[in-house]
Amino acid sequence: MTRTVCKDGFSAYLRAWEARIGSFLEIDEEAVSKAARSHGSAGASGGGPLAGLPFGVKDNVAVAGMRLSCGSRMLDGFVSPYSATAVARLVAAGAAPVGKTNMDEFGMGSSTDTSAYGRTNNPWDVSRVAGGSSGGSAAAVAAGLVPFALGSDTGGSVRQPASFCGVVGLKPTNGAVSRFGLVAYASSLETIGVLADSAARARAVFEAMRGADPLDQTSRDRPDGVPGARAGTGERAGARIIGVLSPEAAARALAGSPGDGASGDGTPLLEPEVAAAFEEAKERMRSLGYRLEELELPSLAYASAAYYTIALAEASANLARFDGVRYGRRPAGAPNPEALVEGARAAGFGDEVRLRILLGTFALRAGFQDRYYLRAQRARAGIRRDFERALAGRDAVLMPVYPTRAFGRGAEAPSPFAQKAADLFTCCANLAGLPALAFPTGVSGGLPVGVQLVGAAFGEDALLDAAEEYGEAYPTGRPDGYEEYWT
Amino acid sequence: MREDYQAFIGLEVHIHLLTATKAFCSCRSAFGDEPNSNVCPVCMGYPGAMPALNAEALRIGAVVARALHCELSAETRFERKQYFYPDMPKNYQISQFASPLGVGGWVDVPAPGGGDARGAPAAIRRIRIKECHLEEDAGKMIHSGDVTLVDYNRAGAPLLEIVTEPDFETGAEAEAYLQQLRRTVRYLGACDGNMEEGSMRCDANVSVNRRGAGLGRKVEIKNLNSSRFVRLGLDYEIARQVELVEGGGTVRQETRLWNENRDRTEVMRVKEDSHDYRFFPEPDLPAVGLDAAFLAEVEAALVEPPFDRERRLEADYGLDRERASSICEERAFADYYEAAVAEARRLGVGDGPAAERTAAWMAGDLRRALRAAGLGAAEVGSLGMPAERLAAVVALVDSGRISATVARKVFDAALGEGAEPADLVRERGWELVSDPAAIAAAADAALAAEGAALAEAAAALAAGDEGRVRRLSGYLVGKAIAASGGTADPSAVKAAVEARLAAASKAL
Repeated sequence: MTRTVCKDGFSAYLRAWEARIGSFLEIDEEAVSKAARSHGSAGASGGGPLAGLPFGVKDNVAVAGMRLSCGSRMLDGFVSPYSATAVARLVAAGAAPVGKTNMDEFGMGSSTDTSAYGRTNNPWDVSRVAGGSSGGSAAAVAAGLVPFALGSDTGGSVRQPASFCGVVGLKPTNGAVSRFGLVAYASSLETIGVLADSAARARAVFEAMRGADPLDQTSRDRPDGVPGARAGTGERAGARIIGVLSPEAAARALAGSPGDGASGDGTPLLEPEVAAAFEEAKERMRSLGYRLEELELPSLAYASAAYYTIALAEASANLARFDGVRYGRRPAGAPNPEALVEGARAAGFGDEVRLRILLGTFALRAGFQDRYYLRAQRARAGIRRDFERALAGRDAVLMPVYPTRAFGRGAEAPSPFAQKAADLFTCCANLAGLPALAFPTGVSGGLPVGVQLVGAAFGEDALLDAAEEYGEAYPTGRPDGYEEYWT
Repeated sequence: MREDYQAFIGLEVHIHLLTATKAFCSCRSAFGDEPNSNVCPVCMGYPGAMPALNAEALRIGAVVARALHCELSAETRFERKQYFYPDMPKNYQISQFASPLGVGGWVDVPAPGGGDARGAPAAIRRIRIKECHLEEDAGKMIHSGDVTLVDYNRAGAPLLEIVTEPDFETGAEAEAYLQQLRRTVRYLGACDGNMEEGSMRCDANVSVNRRGAGLGRKVEIKNLNSSRFVRLGLDYEIARQVELVEGGGTVRQETRLWNENRDRTEVMRVKEDSHDYRFFPEPDLPAVGLDAAFLAEVEAALVEPPFDRERRLEADYGLDRERASSICEERAFADYYEAAVAEARRLGVGDGPAAERTAAWMAGDLRRALRAAGLGAAEVGSLGMPAERLAAVVALVDSGRISATVARKVFDAALGEGAEPADLVRERGWELVSDPAAIAAAADAALAAEGAALAEAAAALAAGDEGRVRRLSGYLVGKAIAASGGTADPSAVKAAVEARLAAASKAL
């Protein structure tokens, strides 16, 4: 592991990494290099923990004057006229957006490979994916190109790539961070999230972004009296009891459930390295003084199915605005408006996006809502209740993030269906609207492994406390070639 | 329509709410500005932009719903209504479906043809309001040659859709409702009610069936851009459907357009082409709870509905229906009337005369003055003739201090010069004169100038030709009053002229 500090060579460092991983779709090289030079030097201090820090922004979050393509041909050449509230708040805290990161088209994927603008490779093994859909943000932070980056998490799109790349990934409580400026995929499920090189950094970024925004009326301030809400006090006085969803309990929940391909055929739910890492993380949490209590989440069986039904239904409406009429790419001419819209969408959307729009449209047809959309909403309510029970008297629920470490491509890659089914551990926090934090616990077979903690609404601090404590006691590694620019 | 058939008509009326800004963003909500000048990322459906509900749109919508006696939902939500159209930026409309702002209301309208305009009270028909829901408007497509342009200024403007139950039977009833609704929303200051500019739009659905057999198969009619077209379109459609059924055919469920140039409805689309709107809850907007403070504010904004006021004016002021209806056309005009009557009474005019004469002035000279100034009845406040001054004129006539002829001069001068009527009468010597010497002088002067008429009248009197005497005598009285500058007391002048006429006749 290389940990040399080479302040003058940042541009070269950035270029070398980008040639290998391709995390950014657009980057202001000069701005980020300048920030690297001045970071840590006298005079750059003061103004809070984010002052002077550059950050990457997933290409579905608006930054005024930068591209906003969502990884899609549909928005090729589109430049945002405005900035997302989350970005504006980070700028107000002294941080600077320096580029846009690669992603699965409109957030639809688990590998960043559905991007229309090329692949992003995993900094730990460039033959493997960085995960998705916030793969560019995860890879950029893992390679040390920026200290943090914004992502978005609809069903695990911050936490899964964070886990694949060995960085911290925070999905806040629904409504804790304004969604204004986040290009919607599945509005009721998604949040802007943080990918950061440490839990402390993730906390600082979250603190700067969170809170009610008049431009997003679904956003809220943190209510008073939330357990664990003691940022900045350094005090860690939660119940120190953590519920554990063991892989065995998850398998029990899935047993006999229709459609969830991740079980029922005798295949273990988790690959051995991930299962071993999970056991190790439990041991270490105990050694830190946490009491661990095994629990069951019976409704987990329905998580993936409910998640995809709701997400795709919302996506079918959210993506309807991309028609080439007011912005974006479109045919040079068309005999009528219908032909214009058809032409623009046929040329603009990739296969995965089309598939999801079609499925979502199908699920919302008149007469079928009860069978699909409303049923999924009932399942969602069940998952929310399960978590309420699981979190009563506990700081968090410890769960796996994803069944595998970063996967390869081609024959190495799980099938598209298996990739969707594998979202079950992450998507339930989105369904329940709860905060969830993925953090690295170690390296296994040259690839990072990690776990996640799911907390009560607005209980981000309890999760960050635990992850920070864990990171201090059991520091994890960085990929080969990593240099420390952002201490 | 044939007696053995019954028609069922329901109306869906969209009104543009008079808010400063659009329903879900802070763009100006206005008609007639430079195309695409009032737009922003939100109302243009830019990627990542989110709607934020305009509280004023919610409040005004709730006021209209309450005025139509709807019950307000304790918690109201928004849904997405999905269909692709180039003038709709997001390709879905934010609307309400499962929990509309207001439900279950009613409104009374005068039944057309019922009652006698001059006396008997109007027949009343109660129309049930199914619901009132908030939604956003779309933009506007402009076709020019082989190019289509879109103006999004109107996109996102707040609309309230008011849906009735199928409670109308004729086009005339629907027209009366629409006029009534227009008056109501104008009273509330919720909408300007301008159908030509599209700030009030009406779609109708209509079915026919043999009387007593219930609803028939529904046809929707669009493009009814005036209350007259609503009546004509519905009556045409009812006749078409009855004829179809009579001939053994069946009505097809379809949407038709009113063609105002050919006075008929024409097929727009059949049921098979109809939209599946795929409604689902709008995840970008939270449910809105209507709290006690909001409800109190809404109730405080309610005003007496125009039809209630019309009936009250008939009952309390003894006005006939036509006059009450005319006064109640605009809230400001009715306010003016009641203020003027109250002031006239305060000045000592009896209740009946105050009500009657004020109404007559408003129907005559005040309307004339408004027209001359290019103002509508709603703008009576800008005329420069406060209700108190009109009341002063009425009182001056009533007390006998000025004649009817002078009254009009006082009115015009008060209006033109912004002066108090009582001051004008005093300063210009317009008070009625009954001093015998002055009357005699006026009568003598007139008769001296009208020798021929006097001689003719005297001859007629001698010959017993009463009709002729009355006509000529009236003519001479008029001349005598004119000779006094209009101030001579007409009854005294009449007596003086008649006395001189009798003398002249005897002298023949």
